[in-house]
Amino acid sequence: MATNPSTYALSQSSDSKQRLQQRRRLFQETEWTRSDGRSFHQCRPAFLRTGAANAASGSAYAEFGATKVIVSVFGPRESKKAMMYSGTGRLNCNVSYTTFSTPVRGQGSDHKEYSSMLHKALEGAIILETFPKTTVDVFALVLESGGGDLPVIVTCASLALADAGIMMYDLVASVSVSCFGRNLVIDPTSEEEACQDGTLMITCMPARNEVTQLMLTGEWTTAKINEAMELCLDACSKLAEIMRSCLKEAASGSS
Amino acid sequence: MVGLSEGEKRFIRGGIAQDLRTDGRQRLHYRPISVETGVIPQANGSARVRLGATDVIVSIKAELGKPHPLQPDKGKVAIFIDCSPTAAPMFEGRGGEELSTELSFALQRCLLGGRSGAGAGIDLSSLVIVEGKVCWDLYIDGLVVSSDGNLLDALAAAIKVALSNTGIPKVTVNLGASPNDQPDVDVSDEEFLQFDTSGVPVVVTLTKVSRHYIVDATSEEESQMSSAVSISVNRHGHICGLTKRGGAGLDPSVILDMISVAKHVGEQLMSLLDSEIAAAEASAEDQ
Amino acid sequence: MTTMLRELRLSLNQTQRVRLQSALQRLQDMASLASAVTVVADTIPVNHEDSILKGHGTSDLNGEVVATLCGVVERVNKLVYVRAQRARYKPEVGDIIVGRVIEIAPKRWRLEINFSQDAVLMLSSMNLPDGIQRRRTAVDELNMRSIFEENDVICAEVRGFQHDGSLHLQARSQKYGKLERGMLLTVPAYLVKRRKQHFHHLENYGVDLILGCNGFIWVGEHVNSNGENDMMVDQENREGLVNKSEVGQATYEVQEQITPLEIRKHVCRVANSVRLLCALGFSLTVEVIVDTVEASISSNTDIKDILAAEFYVQTAEREVQRRVSLTRRKG
Repeated sequence: MATNPSTYALSQSSDSKQRLQQRRRLFQETEWTRSDGRSFHQCRPAFLRTGAANAASGSAYAEFGATKVIVSVFGPRESKKAMMYSGTGRLNCNVSYTTFSTPVRGQGSDHKEYSSMLHKALEGAIILETFPKTTVDVFALVLESGGGDLPVIVTCASLALADAGIMMYDLVASVSVSCFGRNLVIDPTSEEEACQDGTLMITCMPARNEVTQLMLTGEWTTAKINEAMELCLDACSKLAEIMRSCLKEAASGSS
Repeated sequence: MVGLSEGEKRFIRGGIAQDLRTDGRQRLHYRPISVETGVIPQANGSARVRLGATDVIVSIKAELGKPHPLQPDKGKVAIFIDCSPTAAPMFEGRGGEELSTELSFALQRCLLGGRSGAGAGIDLSSLVIVEGKVCWDLYIDGLVVSSDGNLLDALAAAIKVALSNTGIPKVTVNLGASPNDQPDVDVSDEEFLQFDTSGVPVVVTLTKVSRHYIVDATSEEESQMSSAVSISVNRHGHICGLTKRGGAGLDPSVILDMISVAKHVGEQLMSLLDSEIAAAEASAEDQ
Repeated sequence: MTTMLRELRLSLNQTQRVRLQSALQRLQDMASLASAVTVVADTIPVNHEDSILKGHGTSDLNGEVVATLCGVVERVNKLVYVRAQRARYKPEVGDIIVGRVIEIAPKRWRLEINFSQDAVLMLSSMNLPDGIQRRRTAVDELNMRSIFEENDVICAEVRGFQHDGSLHLQARSQKYGKLERGMLLTVPAYLVKRRKQHFHHLENYGVDLILGCNGFIWVGEHVNSNGENDMMVDQENREGLVNKSEVGQATYEVQEQITPLEIRKHVCRVANSVRLLCALGFSLTVEVIVDTVEASISSNTDIKDILAAEFYVQTAEREVQRRVSLTRRKG
């Protein structure tokens, strides 16, 4: 009845190290096929749905291949008294992983760096002046981590905010690109991410053509950066279309 | 959790006394239960149980490990519960920790039996591969997605269903040359052994409000409780674990009465879960 | 099916699923909103020659009007704005709301009303228990807890926003005040439409139903404006009911007036009907609620089964019938 588990942890055995090295060598070649059959410039099919959590003001569920994320938004609610008065609203982001999200079972930890990056990515898009003295809480829960986690989290969070009726300048779409030697591979899986030479992640507001958050690791030539950014922005606008149609469907559904 | 006014509290108490709760249920009636299996594909087994507005997910992972030196013929089981902030903003960060640990310990008590291993819901000796060297470590992770009271019963039911959905991979062992060598274990990717869940108990929580007890309390009703007793009942009608919450004292005769009520309700809950499990298996086979 | 309802929590069998899907599909078809739906950052088509006033939920981008919310575009004369469909509660002067006391501050109570900020009820906006119109003294301030204490459920009217941005309520009339002997339900505020009447006394059932514009709905045993209920009026001996403010720290048990079973059954029935309509996403009006209650009685549905699969599907089908007959009468 149970479907194939992706791994059972034979931790640190020579077998898995060998496989890792094999893959590394594979990725250095110019032509190789991705494990799910996609081309280098093809993103995973996106499944998006709003209204996943009932208790929240707004929520969304996103499934990109093996990465599954659920985000719920609470608020705007009264800020705690300890906060200073502020003419603009506050945004509070929190990202956590479930213990069963990774193939090797780890503690469901609060990825603090993801929380602050989510905050920076969304800050530019939300019109904070519309809810002064109050706080909007965004809680992201990663149910399954299959690679490209942060871009999926940001996309899903932006959908949840729209579902909650928070005023935004634009939807925030996010995509990451890995580089393997000469090749640029978009929307990597966790397998590919483990052997990448570098990564570029962009979160942007497609309709306004503004980048809200940018992250780069590894060694890149300027030409490669340009190419990667173009790839990302193009993918982001396509992703925004999918998000838009999902919201439209949800909006016309309720009478 | 939101507080209640005196008037509302009186209304709830009066309803319980008159056997008509705020949602029309009788005292010993469960909310509609809905069960889904296989919701976490990458786990060995998983289930999602909805009990009214309470929503929990349980995922079970089996990993190879070494048995405890004092119990070389048994595998290991660990239960962890996590209350996610999706359920309530107050669970953010450390907020849900107290509740999570309380639930984890209560479930461990119900499922793992005494020190000798007797009366355990899960037969730990079935998890051993090579005595003293290799065994299965079973990690049971529960996630509270939405909370409206009676988390313990929902989690226990989810664990039971998830276990029925769990497949332990088949293992072939190549023993090393000398008995001190670490045996070479070959884990099959194809063949799975279904977990035997006939021994897994269900948990029935009886919440005492003034003079009466109710089953499956909502969080409003829980706020009114003087004490609550969670009783784990197995197929044979035996008690596999008991936890009391709340500081109010209970008369011993009341406790014995609660146990007999729990046995009766537990039987019905068990048969309901069994039929749900069978239905879920049937629909999974169809797919 | 996936987009229509927010996560259905019931398990339906195959026939029920099919019936529900067809009923919901028909409802969706009847609601002709597809054209005006807009999503965040969609450009709203406007005639640039007219001077358009950009209203709520819109913003300017390179001379184009774009939406900042997901919802329906409304145009009123020169004003263009976006109305969010699942909007949060927006208080307006004169709204009748139900709230819960969360704090007692000097000369005022703070109430939670399902809005982004808490509302304030001033001591001076309340009638004193003795009914005399007089100036509030220091003694009154100290005795605020005797009027309303924490977690009390109160019915009041929105007075307006003060210059410091806080929302003020008033409860001067007899019909406002503390609500006891019943239960409070929370529903999304957009399901409660503003009507002339929000207080409903369902005489057949002896039930009070208050539809707060903020989404807090009170269902309880009927209480007269004097604060008496039927039982008290009948009772000759009034000594059983002890007023908290008179006694203070009571050392003996207050004799609780228990709601009689018959009325309680009706209260639970009405409450479950409200929960059902809320789960279906239908607007809450007293007519629809009473219809649902009557249908449940006539079909011999048990109170708890109102929330079960069969009655759920039947209610959706009944709504389709209602809308069909409504359009027939119009057209």
